[in-house]
Amino acid sequence: MKPVELGSYTELFSEYTELRVQENRTLNIAIVDGDVMGNSRATGSGVSARTFSKGIWGFASNPIIDDESIRNVIRAATRNSQFLAGKENRAGYILPSSPGRSSEDFSTKKIRLTQKELIEFMMEIDGRIESKFSRVVSRTSAFQLLDMEKYLVTSDGSSVYSMIPRSVLYISLSTEYKGESVELFDVYGGMGQFEDLFSTPEALFDKMDEHYEHLIRKAEGVYPDSGIKDCILDADLAGILSHEAIGHTTEADLVRGGSVAGDYMDQQVASPLVTLVDFASRALGEICPVPVFIDDEGTVAEDAVIIENGILKRYMHNKESAASFNARPTGNARAYRFSDEPIIRMRNTVLLPGKSKLEDMIASVDNGYYLMKPSNGEADTTSEFMFGVVQGYEIRKGRLGRAIRDTTISGVAFDMLKTITAVSDDIKWTNGGMCGKKQPIPVGMGGPAVKCRINIGGK
Amino acid sequence: MKKRDITEYSVEAMRKAGLQRSECLLRDTRKDELNVDSGEMSLLRTTDNTSLILTGILDDKKGTISINKIDRLSIDEAVTTVLDLAKSSEADSANDIPPSQPAAEFERGPVAVDLDLMYSRMKDFIKYSGERYPSLILEQAILDFTNTHKYYRNSNGVDLQSRCSSYNFSPMFTSKEGTDTSSFNYVAISTAELDRNLHECGTVDLLMRQSTEQVRSREFQGKFNGDIIITPDCLGSILQMIVSYLSDYPMIKGTSIFQDSLGMQIADPQLTLHSRPLSDELAEGYFITYDGFKAENSTIISEGILKSFLLSLYGANKTEKTRAVNSGGAYVVDPGEYTFDEMTRSVERGILLCRFAGGMPSESGDFSAVAKNSYYIENGEVAYPVKEIMISGNLLNLLKNIKRISSERVNFGDAVLPWIQVENMTIFGK
Repeated sequence: MKPVELGSYTELFSEYTELRVQENRTLNIAIVDGDVMGNSRATGSGVSARTFSKGIWGFASNPIIDDESIRNVIRAATRNSQFLAGKENRAGYILPSSPGRSSEDFSTKKIRLTQKELIEFMMEIDGRIESKFSRVVSRTSAFQLLDMEKYLVTSDGSSVYSMIPRSVLYISLSTEYKGESVELFDVYGGMGQFEDLFSTPEALFDKMDEHYEHLIRKAEGVYPDSGIKDCILDADLAGILSHEAIGHTTEADLVRGGSVAGDYMDQQVASPLVTLVDFASRALGEICPVPVFIDDEGTVAEDAVIIENGILKRYMHNKESAASFNARPTGNARAYRFSDEPIIRMRNTVLLPGKSKLEDMIASVDNGYYLMKPSNGEADTTSEFMFGVVQGYEIRKGRLGRAIRDTTISGVAFDMLKTITAVSDDIKWTNGGMCGKKQPIPVGMGGPAVKCRINIGGK
Repeated sequence: MKKRDITEYSVEAMRKAGLQRSECLLRDTRKDELNVDSGEMSLLRTTDNTSLILTGILDDKKGTISINKIDRLSIDEAVTTVLDLAKSSEADSANDIPPSQPAAEFERGPVAVDLDLMYSRMKDFIKYSGERYPSLILEQAILDFTNTHKYYRNSNGVDLQSRCSSYNFSPMFTSKEGTDTSSFNYVAISTAELDRNLHECGTVDLLMRQSTEQVRSREFQGKFNGDIIITPDCLGSILQMIVSYLSDYPMIKGTSIFQDSLGMQIADPQLTLHSRPLSDELAEGYFITYDGFKAENSTIISEGILKSFLLSLYGANKTEKTRAVNSGGAYVVDPGEYTFDEMTRSVERGILLCRFAGGMPSESGDFSAVAKNSYYIENGEVAYPVKEIMISGNLLNLLKNIKRISSERVNFGDAVLPWIQVENMTIFGK
């Protein structure tokens, strides 16, 4: 995106105002059974303004980025907030302010690969699957790049530039067993552009071999016995648990909307082994999968320690919810497209590692399941959750047994968290999915493995 | 340039660049959106957006770009990129564009938004929900007016355009009494005119009433095989799962549970499912398919027999099966012979399934899910709201085990759906 200077427009602000120019760029390649079924690029850019007048927000956006358009969206947003404020006649909140200035660019410094080179890379992966994995009847390899580039100025003094890329390589394999089709997918990549994340196809081969091995075992696997069982949730599942089951209930807008977490502040909601944090930009000495330095309201982002040693400590806030709760904004206001207003979103939500070893945790289970990979998940204001599980194994007398077929796990998070009796000493991040609230948005999640009791679906 | 001229310019530019076949879709959308958060008016949002999607084919190799700028320089750059994308790809003889069709223009819905009416309808809705259901918290409610112009043109001379608009309302709510909290629930409805109170649309009022009951949801122990009555709200998501097996991706992979089922009995004969994007009964339809054909209404399942896949032109070429005459959606299920009360009275033990929260079914159609916002039925009576209840089964069996379909249906504006009773489902509590 061409550099944009927005500072001079602040003199047009008559209310609290955010002015943002944003470009999202995507690249998609999909190879299905050797055919290039997806080969596309997309760019969506534009300017938006949001204003706050007497407790009411006004927002306007336009895809044209020039002087006239920028002036028009500021005027239109102001007109919208005043239109509604004039009818509502509310006092509204005074928004808290924690402004900052930053410029963060995570573009690769390497020479960019051409579309042809990217397709050749993907075709090599496809060819390897076809030649090596004899029981695969259908295969999909897909690559998706999302670059999010933003300029932001706010009336309270923030000035921000960011370019945060995400590259995800997705492989799905299907086999047949006794006339039934069985599928298993895996996801690679994360924050960064392709050139920084994927050196050669060969670098993925070992993981692809493991993926195939899990698929064959799954095809020959069994459905789990339904009911409440002792389970080890591996890092991917602990991540989605952190995000879906706990994270959403502690977003301040959902707390205002009736989430049960509203009743639990400063109470013991989990085992003392549980500490859950929504990190802003760095965690445990490393950059996070979705780093947010200053959010889309111009608030300097800080880590939100949601649960500390089992006690609920904090909600995630934007400016307005922070004013409502008399709290500090945490920098969780994020927008997906230029035409979206910032809303409260998680950033990088993880359970912190404990002291147990995964192998010891498995050995401690007499009759249960080791659940490794989720498909999708859903949260509730009651903290009741559901995740699809697409990869896992029985545990019988402390040892891994047969693989299991697709199933669902569910429970009430603030009950289930109290059943956690061990947390592994490692951590794994994932950054492949999109969280859906009013808008989609990339989120980071992860964690260690946890031992708990959970309701598992059977057949 | 006028919008229609932009598509002509783009197709001609792709021809000049050397692309042998090309197509262009220009979409121009204006949205006015009123938001309520935590029971209060919070935001008025106006967004204008444009998307220009260019696809070019060179020696059976295809590339696609989407941009949201329509000035000549941006289009020229996009054409250069499409050519590069196509050159970079691999040949696939299934890549194609629609053949010549007569030029056509379509129109549906109001031309202009009535913001004052939107405001007063929303204001009335806030007042109604607060007074009628004091324990209900309106987490969010969104009322928008969306007006979309589409212009499709390709190098075979196809020239289609449409303008569609509708009002769309989607409230999300939960109920709370002390520390007892219901699961959240939501509904989305579309309407051409704001000629009714918002709570009178679709199942809005019913779901709000149920939400206040569900603060006292109960668990039950054990597992049994019983009937489920799928509500119209829940049926929409289950239909989406079923028809996904009829679409390009699983059909091309050869893993669809309906792969060889065309013309075969896949469901109980009581089930007839249409896709009617042109229906006047629906506020939310479309006139142009994703792949550039004039859309037609179709019947997907007729008296239980599979009549059509949902294959695009590419999917049809790839599988050597017939292209669907529309892009799906706009689902209408024919009414049955039983009232909802008759269906309920026939259930000895089962669940009124109001929301399905589950992982995507497996490739073989197996699913398990949490029955959200649902009710336990016993001895012909809806007994009490339940929580932490799961159901499991297989979509093929679910279709075949349909026992009754209700005569009552709900028009959501983008679908018209009844209640459907299915027998022999596995239901389990803690």
